[in-house]
Amino acid sequence: MYSRGKIQFMKRTTFSWSTLLLLALLALSVQGCLGIGGSNQKSIGTGSGGQQVSVNQDVFKGKFYLTISHNLYVLSGNNTSQELVNTGNVVDPAVSPDGKWVAFIQKYKQYSDLSVVSTSGGRAHVLRSGAGKFYPVGPFMHNSFVWYAQPAWSADGSTLLFLSDLEKEDWYAHTTDAPMLDMQVFSIPFNNPQATPKDVAYASFGDGGNRDASYRPGHTNQIIYTHYTYDSATRTKQEIQLFMENPTTISKHPGVYYPGMPGTGFDPGIAITPTNVEIIEPAFSPDGSSIAYVKRNATNISLDVMPAPPDNITATPNDPKTEQQALQAYQTQSSHLLTQLYVQEPAWSPDGTQIAYFLYTGNSFDLWIANLTRDAAGKYSVKGSPVQVTSGGVDGESHPVWTN
Amino acid sequence: MPPAYQNGPQSPVSFAGRPGMGGMGNGPQMFALGQGQYPGAPQGPGGAPGFPQQGGYNSFNQPGPNGLFSMGAVNAPPAPLADTFERGRAGAGTGLPATGAQGYRERRSDGPPSRDPRGGKHKKKRRMPLWARLVIGFLITLIVLLGGGAAATYAYYQFYLSGSVNSIVNQQVARNSGEGDPNSSLTNGILTGPRVNILLLGSDTDQKFQGKFIAQTDIIVTIDPSSHTVGMLSIPRDFFINVPGYGMHKLDEAYGIGGVALSRMTIEQDFGIPINYYAWVGLDGFIKVINEVGGVDVDVLHPIVDDNYPDDVGKNANNPYALKRLYLAPGPQHLDGPSALEYVRSRHADLVGDFGRSVRQQQVLTALKTRLANPDIFNKLSAIAGDLKGYLTTDMALPDVLKLMNFARSLDPGKIDKLTLGPPYSSSGTAPAGGNDAGADVVIPNCDLIVPAIQKMLQLGSKAVCNIATGDNGNSVPQPLTTPTPQASSTSTPQPPYAPDTPQAHPTSPSWNAPWPYATSTPSVYATSTPHFYATSTPQPEATSTPQASSTSTPPTYADGDNLAALFSDSTGSVLSGNLANLFGVQSLLELMLMGTFESTDVF
Repeated sequence: MYSRGKIQFMKRTTFSWSTLLLLALLALSVQGCLGIGGSNQKSIGTGSGGQQVSVNQDVFKGKFYLTISHNLYVLSGNNTSQELVNTGNVVDPAVSPDGKWVAFIQKYKQYSDLSVVSTSGGRAHVLRSGAGKFYPVGPFMHNSFVWYAQPAWSADGSTLLFLSDLEKEDWYAHTTDAPMLDMQVFSIPFNNPQATPKDVAYASFGDGGNRDASYRPGHTNQIIYTHYTYDSATRTKQEIQLFMENPTTISKHPGVYYPGMPGTGFDPGIAITPTNVEIIEPAFSPDGSSIAYVKRNATNISLDVMPAPPDNITATPNDPKTEQQALQAYQTQSSHLLTQLYVQEPAWSPDGTQIAYFLYTGNSFDLWIANLTRDAAGKYSVKGSPVQVTSGGVDGESHPVWTN
Repeated sequence: MPPAYQNGPQSPVSFAGRPGMGGMGNGPQMFALGQGQYPGAPQGPGGAPGFPQQGGYNSFNQPGPNGLFSMGAVNAPPAPLADTFERGRAGAGTGLPATGAQGYRERRSDGPPSRDPRGGKHKKKRRMPLWARLVIGFLITLIVLLGGGAAATYAYYQFYLSGSVNSIVNQQVARNSGEGDPNSSLTNGILTGPRVNILLLGSDTDQKFQGKFIAQTDIIVTIDPSSHTVGMLSIPRDFFINVPGYGMHKLDEAYGIGGVALSRMTIEQDFGIPINYYAWVGLDGFIKVINEVGGVDVDVLHPIVDDNYPDDVGKNANNPYALKRLYLAPGPQHLDGPSALEYVRSRHADLVGDFGRSVRQQQVLTALKTRLANPDIFNKLSAIAGDLKGYLTTDMALPDVLKLMNFARSLDPGKIDKLTLGPPYSSSGTAPAGGNDAGADVVIPNCDLIVPAIQKMLQLGSKAVCNIATGDNGNSVPQPLTTPTPQASSTSTPQPPYAPDTPQAHPTSPSWNAPWPYATSTPSVYATSTPHFYATSTPQPEATSTPQASSTSTPPTYADGDNLAALFSDSTGSVLSGNLANLFGVQSLLELMLMGTFESTDVF
């Protein structure tokens, strides 16, 4: 009996310790999972078998609007992260200055729609639909479908910029007898989205057109965008540059400007980066004084910052002196932040002290944040180690928006 | 003033009724905020509990102090995110049972020794500790992977792959009456004798064709083993030529009428080109493979816009010539199978035509090879081979495919002679009334230029012909709409702005076919030397000397385990050094499929 009892006792003892240990470990694990304690993490899933993304909500203030599996999400540091649109075809969110609306794109097989939804969720509304049809013109097949992409708000929220090929049939004479498929920049009033869009920035023919258009904060008459074209000498070498422009110049001078390739087109855009480097994805700092951008070459991709060029450069486009002046800020005052695989889509924090971006880590694109510091000369650098906000993958091609 | 849509009647977005987005539509998604367990992860020093660590892909160039932010992502030891977070890509999770897992199941089925009904008559077995079983399992796996036994390698191949592979290779197609058999002179296998010509046929394999595919791609790969040279002759699918026994047709219809045999016979009788082997590729195979490996991550170099992309995969049941519009945003992004195919196939997306297309193809190939270079690929080998099943067939035996691809891998891609029989070798025309394809847009061969060109490329001598019309040598060929301008015979590939072999029954916008004012020479912006993830400097051993049989006779049997095992041994042995070479032959089959999909030998 004693022996048996002892054995039982020993078994009970062993069982108790191991169980306690197990329970303790389990508690710690669950604590981490549920965000109890020192960490505030949220797991965002997109359905059974779909992508699961976790968000470290402790490491940022404010809100991020971005897309995951092409659904629109708002990530919040106050534990209110939620999905806003779940149609599985969302790209390019843009939040209105008053924080009430998210403009975004819904992409379909042949076209896309420019839509808007309240930042608190609810039903989405189509501002402009690109739906159309194929139709024959003689022996040729044309179509009336339209792409919309990358909406951007003016500072007062009254105007939306967007990319589109909606004038593709209108420019045969200036585009070597071809439809202008390349995306150009247009604008519409937010309170009358069906109004005829105004031409804002023309594309050159053949390399896909413009991207990343946005207004310069504090400057109602300046926009920035990435311009894709080919060199004028051989028409074979890509030139990918940042351009600035007065968004009203074309519409105020009808018949003067027109799209085309370098040397054939004539537009009010002015390059602020040279042709010998590929610069994409500009993002103005909240005060409009600096521009973060991605620099790409054959071996790596980096995130850099340059000061904005002088205010007057967009007033006198197509002037050689102005063109030289516009390049000086990049050439003399740009600063390097970091070099990482597929670093992209920079977005400034609302107070301008941090910068968010996507990195390719662990076979997925995820959101990271870096603290910024500025030296006496005004050059930026990263302070400390960047931190990872999401894990599991967000949509790399769709930029994030950081708001209060 | 509030926007008009806030006050007036609305046009609600009908989410459910929208057509799916090409390549991106994932269907309705369920938002599972807060649901499920947040997966735990190894904790780094100073890291936040449970937050996944940064994967080991990169390191920051500004290492900061530990714990500056209350998170271990940067400073913690690397732990691949994939171990912690299931991305749920298509095909994920398909795999082979691990050794350890198998052992666990056996233990459970045996039950505890103490419950043995034979009681104390049997000595109590001491169960091996878990760690010991894992170590043994690992060592066994190591031995197998290191080629420790040809039999083990062969057994693995037979058990997991041979079913799919055997449905791909050795698919002999009997030659038609009147068709020559050039393989009768191949007495010592492929690449050991005279020149061999391989007909590469590519079909869209969408269900709209209900199994009756046409061949949008007709390419002859010609290999001269003695001079170590390769040529690639692309014949436009709309070539209006004599299909033996069926009159004038477009070349792509020969496959639809009589399959491989009639395509092969058409090429031989119309141009005098003997065809030793064929390989047929279905485009959906590429999509399946890309999806199988979880998609690819690619830096799209510039916005891709195309209003005339052939809509020949997916659900488009009624119109085999449908067009699709493309807009791919630039920048790094994840591409699934359909999107990756669009990215590599679009011919209208840039001014530099096929060169730009080639650069895009290399990007996707590199990304695909990165996926394949993951040792985890062994778990998907069987699935990948299964994906190829039905989308790749050839009459070559597997060792021949292996040797062919090893040979191709050793070539300088820049020295492959490529010729597309577009203008000036052909011109646009219309099929005459009263015949097949009456009124359809077709491509009219220019025999004066074609004959000397194929004579030179394929060393045909007087056998090169241009019997493209029924009954004679071109008298009944309809007049082309535009008269081609004969130029000096040359084997260099003419570079139209957009290659004329783009699948298009509907003529595209006139601009795409108009004379192009711009130079199409190689741009300097792209690096042309794409890093290769596979070892290309060490050719695989030619392990078999089994003579090739004529395709009209019984196909050669390569079930000999020693031959295959020898072919596989080097490649499997290199897996652990991080260099997945041939993946039991699946890599070579993949490359053969990519050659057909990309219409290029530059896939290695």
